[in-house]
Amino acid sequence: MRLLTHNMLSSNIRGVVNGFPLGIEAEKVVEREVELSAEFLRGVFPKIEWGALVAGARALGHPDLLPGEADASMLASDDFLRRFHRALLQLHVEEGALVCPETGRRFPINKGIPNMLLHEDEV
Amino acid sequence: MAKLQRGEGEGGDLEKLRKGIAESYDESTGAWEELFGEYIHRGFYDTPSAAPGAAPLTALDHRRAQLRMIDEALAFAGVSEDPEKKPKKILDVGCGIGGDTLCLAKKYGAQCIGINLSPVQVKRAQELAQAEGLADKVSFEEADALNQPFPDGQFDLVWSLESGEHMPDKEKFFSEMARVAAPGATIILVTWCHRDLSPDEESLRPDEMKLLNKISDAHLLPAWCSAADYASFAKSLKLEDIRRADWSENVAPFWSAAVQSGMTWRGIISLLKSGWKTIKTALAVSLLIEGYNKKVIKYNIITCRKPK
Repeated sequence: MRLLTHNMLSSNIRGVVNGFPLGIEAEKVVEREVELSAEFLRGVFPKIEWGALVAGARALGHPDLLPGEADASMLASDDFLRRFHRALLQLHVEEGALVCPETGRRFPINKGIPNMLLHEDEV
Repeated sequence: MAKLQRGEGEGGDLEKLRKGIAESYDESTGAWEELFGEYIHRGFYDTPSAAPGAAPLTALDHRRAQLRMIDEALAFAGVSEDPEKKPKKILDVGCGIGGDTLCLAKKYGAQCIGINLSPVQVKRAQELAQAEGLADKVSFEEADALNQPFPDGQFDLVWSLESGEHMPDKEKFFSEMARVAAPGATIILVTWCHRDLSPDEESLRPDEMKLLNKISDAHLLPAWCSAADYASFAKSLKLEDIRRADWSENVAPFWSAAVQSGMTWRGIISLLKSGWKTIKTALAVSLLIEGYNKKVIKYNIITCRKPK
């Protein structure tokens, strides 16, 4: 699971008011290189919850990878694009869990795939 | 408004149903992929399908028809290809092994997510995404269409092609799709429904219900509603530009593909290797054909837009 995906997932357990962003317990993180597309990054930037991305990068062992805040003007910088690209697309949580911020409920990640299925008493 | 018709498959608890569906697809996905490729849905054909004396449809024809189904659904809903207006974030609900998800990612250059109950299929979908070099644009999660793990208003296009049949609560299923759709987004649902009821009918006839129950039981299809029911869910959710059509005749030629493939040695061996559940499902195709011929079940497309 990449942080791009993490940026789109939330906990919808019944009764939870704000299930986003999910915490990340990263047990196994792998980095896979993928080609950088400035166009893609510029296109996706407005839809990214930056705080969640920063927290994600920290949870994956890269606390200094991203600036605490970002705005679109930074997309002109190659260094920023590389960091953004790396955080968003290259870091993969292979094993671990996503954690509901309100209930602490863990959604396991196995072989890079998060299991977001709720139990019957959670719906 | 028509009452929802419940098949015999319903009645167990939610987890049992989900597990049943997941296991069924876990078990059969290999056979299906071998027989039909990565699109776990019917093809779209012109009607009348073939002139007398025309050559029978080949596997390649059926595959083209499957791709055509995707295009026809997008065209029907009026999804724009204009770079400013095209969808940038797409959700595939009940994504199978990601055939459609990958196709949509390629078509629009969009970021796509597919959700599915079957861990085997999700894993396979990831493999295919990787193989096609789309792993940066497309991701897959094990998740329930009835309780989607997304905040509201995320996606520009919400897509469900032949997965709605498995949803035990059609209204919840539809409202989840509407919830995660962004303002201005398009929702596309292509699914088997039972026929619309006429104004003086409260339910299907007993003989029709009997057939529907038999179909449901064989296929883990816990509930049925009509296309009119979906349209009225859309209306009650204040969705706009509600369109629907009956494509039953446009998918009819796919039956012969299903039966033909099943009858080849490759098909039979594939089925036998998959296990009893898969064999049972394959035999139940004849029930589906019966339901189709008797006009009890229809292949429908329902599309709409979330207001801006």
